Amino acid sequence: MKFDTIIIGGGLSGLVCGIKLQENGQNTAIVSTGQSALHFSSGAFDLLNKLDDGTEVDIPANFISLLPSSHPYSKIGYDKFVKYCREVPSLFKNASINLKGDPETNGYRITPLGQVKKTWLVFEDFNTMNTAVINYENVALCNFNGFLDFYPQFIGDVLAGEKCKYKRVTLDLPFIEKLRHNPTEMRATNIAKVFDSEENIEALLKEINSRCEFASTIMLPAVFGLYSLAPVEYLKEKCGKKICLLATMPPSVPGIRTQQMLRKYYSYCGGAYMMGDTVEKADMDSDSVKSVYTANHDGIPLSADNYVLATGSFFSNGIIAEPEGIFEPVFDLDTDNDPDRSNWYDNDFFSRQPYMKYGVKTDHDFKPFRKGRILENMYAAGSVLSGFDAVSEGCGGGVSIFTALCVANKILGGE
Amino acid sequence: MDIRYNISDHNFEQCLKCTICTVYCPVVQVNPDFPGPKQAGPDGERFRMKFPDMADTSLKYCMNCKRCEVACPSGVRIGDIIQTARIKDKKTHVKLRDAILANTDIVGTMATMAAPVVNSVIKLRPVKKLMDSVMKIDSRRTFPDYSQQTFEKWFRKYAMKTQSTYDRQVTYFHGCYVNYNYPQLGKDLVKIMNAAGYGVNLMEHEKCCGIALISNGLIKQAKWQAGKNMDGIRKSVLEDNRTVISTSSTCILTMRDEYPHLLGIDNKDVREQIDMATRFLYRLIDEKKITLIFRSDYKKRVAYHSPCHLDKLGWEIYSVGLLRMIEGVDLMILDSNCCGIGGSYGFKKENYDVSQKVGEPLFRQIEQVNPDFVATDCETCKWQIEMSTSARVKNPISVIAEALDVEATYKANLKNQR
Amino acid sequence: MKENTFDVIIIGGGITGAGTARDCALRGLKVLLLERFDYTAGATSRNHGLLHSGARYAMTDPESAGECIRENLILKKIAPNCVEENGGLFISLPEDDISFHDQFIIKCREAGINAKEIDPDEAIRMEPSVNPDIRAAVAVPDGSVDPFRLTMANILDARNHGAITKVYHKVVDLIREKENIIGITAYSTTEKRLEKYYAPVTINAGGIWGHAIAQLAGININMYPAKGALLIFGHRVNNVVINRCRKPSDADILVPGDTISLIGTTSSRVPYGQIDNMFVTPEEVDLLLREGQKLAPTLKTTRILRAYAGVRPLIAKDNDPTGRNISRGIVLLDHKKRDGLGGFITITGGKLMTYRLMAEMATDLVCEKLHRKSSCSTASLLLPGSGKSEEKSSKNLKRTFVFSPPVRKERAHRFGELAVRMNMDGKNDSSLICECENVTVGEVKFAIRNLDATDLISLRRRTRIGMGTCQGELCSCRAAGLLADNTENILKVREDLRDFLNERWKGIRPISWGDTLRETQFSSWLYNGVCDLGTIKENKTTDI
Repeated sequence: MKFDTIIIGGGLSGLVCGIKLQENGQNTAIVSTGQSALHFSSGAFDLLNKLDDGTEVDIPANFISLLPSSHPYSKIGYDKFVKYCREVPSLFKNASINLKGDPETNGYRITPLGQVKKTWLVFEDFNTMNTAVINYENVALCNFNGFLDFYPQFIGDVLAGEKCKYKRVTLDLPFIEKLRHNPTEMRATNIAKVFDSEENIEALLKEINSRCEFASTIMLPAVFGLYSLAPVEYLKEKCGKKICLLATMPPSVPGIRTQQMLRKYYSYCGGAYMMGDTVEKADMDSDSVKSVYTANHDGIPLSADNYVLATGSFFSNGIIAEPEGIFEPVFDLDTDNDPDRSNWYDNDFFSRQPYMKYGVKTDHDFKPFRKGRILENMYAAGSVLSGFDAVSEGCGGGVSIFTALCVANKILGGE
Repeated sequence: MDIRYNISDHNFEQCLKCTICTVYCPVVQVNPDFPGPKQAGPDGERFRMKFPDMADTSLKYCMNCKRCEVACPSGVRIGDIIQTARIKDKKTHVKLRDAILANTDIVGTMATMAAPVVNSVIKLRPVKKLMDSVMKIDSRRTFPDYSQQTFEKWFRKYAMKTQSTYDRQVTYFHGCYVNYNYPQLGKDLVKIMNAAGYGVNLMEHEKCCGIALISNGLIKQAKWQAGKNMDGIRKSVLEDNRTVISTSSTCILTMRDEYPHLLGIDNKDVREQIDMATRFLYRLIDEKKITLIFRSDYKKRVAYHSPCHLDKLGWEIYSVGLLRMIEGVDLMILDSNCCGIGGSYGFKKENYDVSQKVGEPLFRQIEQVNPDFVATDCETCKWQIEMSTSARVKNPISVIAEALDVEATYKANLKNQR
Repeated sequence: MKENTFDVIIIGGGITGAGTARDCALRGLKVLLLERFDYTAGATSRNHGLLHSGARYAMTDPESAGECIRENLILKKIAPNCVEENGGLFISLPEDDISFHDQFIIKCREAGINAKEIDPDEAIRMEPSVNPDIRAAVAVPDGSVDPFRLTMANILDARNHGAITKVYHKVVDLIREKENIIGITAYSTTEKRLEKYYAPVTINAGGIWGHAIAQLAGININMYPAKGALLIFGHRVNNVVINRCRKPSDADILVPGDTISLIGTTSSRVPYGQIDNMFVTPEEVDLLLREGQKLAPTLKTTRILRAYAGVRPLIAKDNDPTGRNISRGIVLLDHKKRDGLGGFITITGGKLMTYRLMAEMATDLVCEKLHRKSSCSTASLLLPGSGKSEEKSSKNLKRTFVFSPPVRKERAHRFGELAVRMNMDGKNDSSLICECENVTVGEVKFAIRNLDATDLISLRRRTRIGMGTCQGELCSCRAAGLLADNTENILKVREDLRDFLNERWKGIRPISWGDTLRETQFSSWLYNGVCDLGTIKENKTTDI
């Protein structure tokens, strides 16, 4: 099978790249080993929250020049970085995803454990805040009886610290009671499936109205709208009070919906999304890829003019750590890492972990190296790249989206 | 002390507990007695090693749709882990009902002999009530009709003779459904293959692929039948140099993957030559070895449903690719959802409600789209959708056969061969 | 008697202290047990969890071997829910001296251990994971023991018989009156205050830390801390204990326990000052893996969950001024006789296996000192949780609550008759907190209410949360939520969560590659990225 571009990896980066290419007339395929890390999303994309030295970032574009040259943002460069900042909301809008927030300035979100954290754009379920201070009056902090992945205890503590008046409300609804019948599966996504019916949302609203008369703001876990935003919109529209949804522990309902909508839009644009398949080997010569072979398609080669590697970091097996070293499993690309295993970690789990920055080594065009030589028809995008720490710098979403756009534009011959 | 299964021959340790599988499990949402793929699969595996004799009755609620495996980012074969545990678990004798549902070919043979009687009797309310109460086969379920003449009989009588006149040859694994219930699909395939310049052969001793035996715990018989089929496949592929194709995604998945994973039957030497008819055709067209020419007057709105097992194979693109080649087909791809039947699963009284609830999103979408018909590669999906919606369902092969300009195709492929 | 006056004060909440508290309480004494951190926080939880048959010591220490096999049989009887009768193998590999094997069987029999020579093929059938190159094999009645559950069963029973037990009480001084110890001063680290307690006899059961306790009385005990490192594998690789049939050496025991297997140990002397800071080096990991593969080749391709190290409380014999003559046996020191200091006893040495015997010896001495005539009954009275048969409580559970079969089976096995007490709040209690180890909400609540679990680390010791494949990634925040329901100090719970994940990370770090690093990265995304747990804002008021 022949495509213009084959993208390996169907997460945020792969999908953004694929969509951009399809929108511009290319015929592409995405090969994805299972579902992506968007399933654990916080419900927001971070762009750049912090520099390595701890400097706090408010307007990300202003800090690009301070990043080391190995950082993906440095390779993108200031001009394109600013351009992408503005382009991203409309790109997602095409896939019917409305991102909220100021694309040029960081805002704040509330985490599942009640921390207030910097972020960039949030999914439509949520609100960004302009300051790190939570400012709500008379909050009803609601949870469903027996739902263990949402923590009003912690969030309430933070509200109290901010001098917000709140009361905790435990909601009992018969159709959720049924879910609890299963000891393991009272998860955010299972609750979301229940609220797919307007009838059940009506029942929820009735319960809220009778229990939360005192409140002007209703805080609820973000467990609405697994397949479309409709339940969220319905809830917000029908409830007479202000609804404030808060992220839960995974699986993330807004994250899964975003993944599904991106995938749907990609397919709508004509892209071939091969879910549950893995690229196992490739036909290569010294400086290009000729074709790839996957687990499901036996001996049938998939070939393309260009290849994009968007296989993610360790979690997604984009790069693999063994006691002897760190490698890229599909093409055996060169990686940036430390050969001494004892340098991979910091003793404090919550400090910057050196291994987070390891990944595939690329040139300034995001072309990877193999045995020291550049692969001419291949690009790498997203978390598989080296040179950034998605967690400590707070830049995972931004790097995934921006490098995907950058690579797509290079393939399209623009910029 | 008997320690049988203390070593994992599966990859359950690669599970990162991310719970993505449970998001995509169609059963867990509607049946709280099923602990979910993660808990029943990789998590449960650690406890089964601790308590090798523990009978876990909740495993039977797994439909073996494999959606968990498709979704898993770590490549854990969750469905296989659950099914393997069930196989090891099977201590009690198999129920008569399960044996009947599992033995699709024996029951098919008998039913075909008396098809007119069976078809009408099976629809009688008292009979259904009896089956419901005695056999626990749900009375709300409609049974597929049995054909008066099996496909094999038809083939040997009318088609076999001319097949050797074609230069190129394939072997057709028709499966129980084509043979007993719907020979037309087999006839459609023969029509397309012949037009494309391929002669069709049957295996000497085709047995049911065995999926229903596996899911009902009749492992010994499944192994025996699988062995017979593997003999036939090896003869076809290795001696006669003929690929084995089928029109049923479940038969193909079973023979390619369940044989080695669940029955421990090695098929490496021939696995790549066990193929879906749609993929086989698509490849030939893609490699410009054959041409299919379609009638210009064929105009249909078709909604395509990808069966779970085809999703697992990852071969939806071939069926969809073929349907897209038909200019007159206005194709709409339905969201990837399970229809709920799960083979013999949905026939069992205790599973009927779960089965219908699982299928609801799919049924709803089909009614919304309201196509001329639904296309899908699985016979049990067809039964379920036809029973639960107003839509008619056709195999993509039948759609192609309908739309095909046979003469023009035949001529074009004569040219191709020369 | 006054509130703060007891018959006996026991210092140390490990298995020895817990067992002694039970024995004393059963004999009608008024008991106070003080533990400076948490129950089972020391060497009790940092060992193989091996229910020795005694065979390991048959060649070197016949006395210990005899003690082991006698206690082995007793524990199987009194605490069936804490032990697994897995059986054990002593295997000889081609490189091992076969004459050791022959001698070994004779010595085992002399010690009263039922050791049976078996055919190598038979051994492989018994335990398919064993190295197929074995030349000879001996079957012995080894098993596994859960030290956490065993300790808590003793604590519970002691309390049922009137004992008072307190955690986070560090003994800072021994109160001396003339030539007698008449009580102690303890510092409560949670209440942040000093407390005084009095008793005619004080027992030092502090294990390796007993060294420092004795020093409070100006007494010197020659402790020799020996570090042992172990690796935990992700699932039960073996169902039968596999030992190397040779002189005790590194990584020669592979023990299945609950859902995992563990290999150990290494052995190295460490300075006394380091005993509170044990960590495993990459060299130790490599050594354990290299040697472990010789027992069961499959270890090479098995996921490792974590690495940890413990300190053996070895003690030099009093008559050996060089300190080289180390005893692995039980050491009971009557300081009246040894040092002229009355009212003070040290019980140390020994093993997890022989805790009951140690407790009996110490309690006998206490009774002698208090002139009480009372005989020991701990060898025959069942421990809490071992009462009803699994079958019956399993059925009871099914009737009342919804559980998947593995959860039901697991609970009945772990808690016996106590299982029903873990569903006090109805249906919510059957939800799972820890999905890897099947720990329910009810179990966690029970531990918080009845077993002094005040933080996540102590909850782990009581319930196995965070001990499974995900090492706390899924369950720790859920458990933190339950803890938060039981306290006003929410900030502390969040700090707890942070400490807990760091404690898990300490054991993961030495082996974090492959799937373990994938899991680690996932946890880091969650708790650092999504939740931002790393930057807890301090100094907030929590009241409205």
